[in-house]
Amino acid sequence: MDDVSIRLEGVSLCYRLAKQRVPSFKEYAIHFLRGALSYEQLWALKEVDLTVRRGESLGIVGRNGAGKSTLLKVISQVLKPTRGTAAIDGRLAPILELGSGFDYELTGLENVYLNALLLGHSRRDIDGKVDEIVEFSGLGDFIRSPLRNYSSGMQARLGFSIATAWVPDILILDEVLAVGDATFTEKCERRLQRFHDSGATVLLVSHTLDAVIKNCARCIWLDDGRVRADGAAREVVSLYRREHGTEPVEHEGGRLQAQA
Amino acid sequence: MREIYRYRDLVFALVARELKVRYKRSAIGFLWTMLQPLLMMLVLQVVFSSLFRFKLAFGNYPVFAFAGLLFWNFFSQSIVASMNSLKGNATLLRKLPIPKEVFPLATVISGVINLCFAIVPLLLILVVTEHRLSPALLFLPISILLAALFTLGAGLLLSPLAVFFSDVVEMIGVVLSILMYMTPVIYPMEILKDSRFLPLVRFNPVRSILEVFRDPIYQGEVPPLTHLTVCLVIAVGALAVGAWAFRRSSDRIPFYI
Repeated sequence: MDDVSIRLEGVSLCYRLAKQRVPSFKEYAIHFLRGALSYEQLWALKEVDLTVRRGESLGIVGRNGAGKSTLLKVISQVLKPTRGTAAIDGRLAPILELGSGFDYELTGLENVYLNALLLGHSRRDIDGKVDEIVEFSGLGDFIRSPLRNYSSGMQARLGFSIATAWVPDILILDEVLAVGDATFTEKCERRLQRFHDSGATVLLVSHTLDAVIKNCARCIWLDDGRVRADGAAREVVSLYRREHGTEPVEHEGGRLQAQA
Repeated sequence: MREIYRYRDLVFALVARELKVRYKRSAIGFLWTMLQPLLMMLVLQVVFSSLFRFKLAFGNYPVFAFAGLLFWNFFSQSIVASMNSLKGNATLLRKLPIPKEVFPLATVISGVINLCFAIVPLLLILVVTEHRLSPALLFLPISILLAALFTLGAGLLLSPLAVFFSDVVEMIGVVLSILMYMTPVIYPMEILKDSRFLPLVRFNPVRSILEVFRDPIYQGEVPPLTHLTVCLVIAVGALAVGAWAFRRSSDRIPFYI
């Protein structure tokens, strides 16, 4: 039991679709009187069982809308499963989207503090790490200018540097390795490797299948909210490739992934 | 509870940001916090001294009204701001596992700080109108604490509702203006002596909290222990109900925001 860091049992998660939402009392009353408070339900996850051991690096692949991000949100305890249980053991560092919570009017440095506070660190912790964060981000003097002047790559570098400054028990990365330039990506991967060596559990969602093979030993393939395959990264990725062509060029949430 | 304590530095940062935003935007900055009730008080002074006449136990309507308005502004603005605080941080709530209470909490704390700033012009008015400066004024921190607990409770109760139903914010705006007239903010409760509305005002919990704030300023007296006990029960009760309701709906917030 001790070496399990994530255990999902029969996890299902249901979204009520946005257009079906009842936004006002009036509509609520109308629906209620009709006796039809029914929503169009979208089951983003269906009966997912998943056990991740401490120190494992797990890749998650799947098409858009397969439930990858939802799964990560359940694991990082942002969303509570509609059914089933999610037991997470250890300190999480969720990077669901780099720089969620950045304030564009503040400088890079101020954002380091804000962002790290949002991740649950104390001011004193941050004081001790801030130099290292700035150093790793490679932003140099840019750190003193407002974030609105940053390119998206620079923001991503800052976000990654903040989130990975503390060695977590569980690191969650959603499509983030692809954003920086090649040198930075390499730097990130070295850091991931170091986390891995120090026994952290790493979860990586990526459409860059080579990145999954390179960084993860194990991989699961999510398809329509279910785990379609679970096994060695190389095998699962090749199964997935067989079904979806060689390298599907996909975009998610407007972020276009150009493939090498 | 422990979770929120862990995020205490975040709460302070949110408070600092809220105050900064508020005072950066306008030219005369945080003077507005003091000017707004001051101007309102002048208007009320004109209206009430020439149109409606009533006798105040201690005279000096400006002090009476100003103290009342300080409390009321804190109470109503904090509630509205708490309701907007969750919606305003929707992107964060959808992505990070933050204890969601920190947002209403930070809002109410910055409200308290604004209230403290506004006590400066209040003291000025006391001096100018030659009102009695009583040692009871030293009781104000406790009054403010009670008001803050009560307001936080209301904010925690209402802010998830604002996420689930978008018209709650408008509705609460109306409720608050009705409530203001049900609370002796700008008139003394004595004028209702023979009115059938008296029970509405008398048993309004906001009235009790208001009086604990105003009595030390206006009457120069620390409220009697019985009244304080009632207020403590009301404030802690409101906070308990609010915190409970918030916890209960907390898991559903990311789905609706």
